[in-house]
Amino acid sequence: MTDCGCDKAKAELEEYIHNELTTGEAADIAEHMATCTDCSGEHLVGLTLTAKVREACNEKAPADLRSEVLAKLRDIQPTR
Amino acid sequence: MTVLLEARPTTSLGDLQLSPMTIETPEEPTANEPVVEAEPVDEPEDVRALFEEQALQYMDQLYAAAMRMTKNPADAADLVQETFVKAYTAFGQFQQGTNLKAWLYRIQTNTFINNYRKNQRNPYQGTIDDLEDWQLGGAESVTQHTSTRSAEAEAIDHLPDSAVKDALQSIPEDFRLAVYFADVEGFSYQEIADIMKTPVGTVMSRLHRGRRLLRGLLAEYASDRGIAAAPATGSKK
Repeated sequence: MTDCGCDKAKAELEEYIHNELTTGEAADIAEHMATCTDCSGEHLVGLTLTAKVREACNEKAPADLRSEVLAKLRDIQPTR
Repeated sequence: MTVLLEARPTTSLGDLQLSPMTIETPEEPTANEPVVEAEPVDEPEDVRALFEEQALQYMDQLYAAAMRMTKNPADAADLVQETFVKAYTAFGQFQQGTNLKAWLYRIQTNTFINNYRKNQRNPYQGTIDDLEDWQLGGAESVTQHTSTRSAEAEAIDHLPDSAVKDALQSIPEDFRLAVYFADVEGFSYQEIADIMKTPVGTVMSRLHRGRRLLRGLLAEYASDRGIAAAPATGSKK
């Protein structure tokens, strides 16, 4: 049990959220957050931010774009 | 055991695969030129069928990204179309088995930077990474607006998509794209570095700063609209 402390946890929280840490590093952060409401709160805010951005950007291309692209591709004659 | 990725935002496993991508960026294809250096057996129709089958499935995602880039539907549609045309003409250079989505994103990002960005007013062009945080404005005092972090998370969670999109559109482009690539597409930092042609350290910085700005804007929006969670009552564990 070597709690990595708030400074390290806060510094690496973004990397933790984006799965950029090694298993060991991630475990350290997780262990710290288990007992630190401040850092686990930051984590929650970070996850919420990611989820909201993802949700907001879930857009569909206009229906006719697909057919336009297909038509364009057919205009291009791949030759050798 | 293959539990690792997919559930990205919620998993806490590190140990990322920083697989270097081998993306060949297509040279500007000239119109009417031979397009596919096809292997001997490939008939043009086969190449087209393969491309349509593999690449077109990413159209919605590329369009959503194009909206973040160009900020308007007409340009976004044009950009996506151009991306597919370029990708198709360069498809012979794509190595099957590598990450097609990242390859397409790289083409689209290049195309955007070369063809569209110069048409946009962007006073920070080229220097945004050098600005100090205070010059960017926003967000250090986020937590003054809400009494606890869980209240802040709840307030953000209640915001409409339009508010999130507006906030995204208003942060500097390089930050916005880094956030988009990481949070929406789930690309690794290394993949984003390849797409944006910038070192991983710069990706991290753009991502951190972009997310911090975003957080500040959303907190502001929430408090302006009176969207705030109930005052802290001890919803923490």
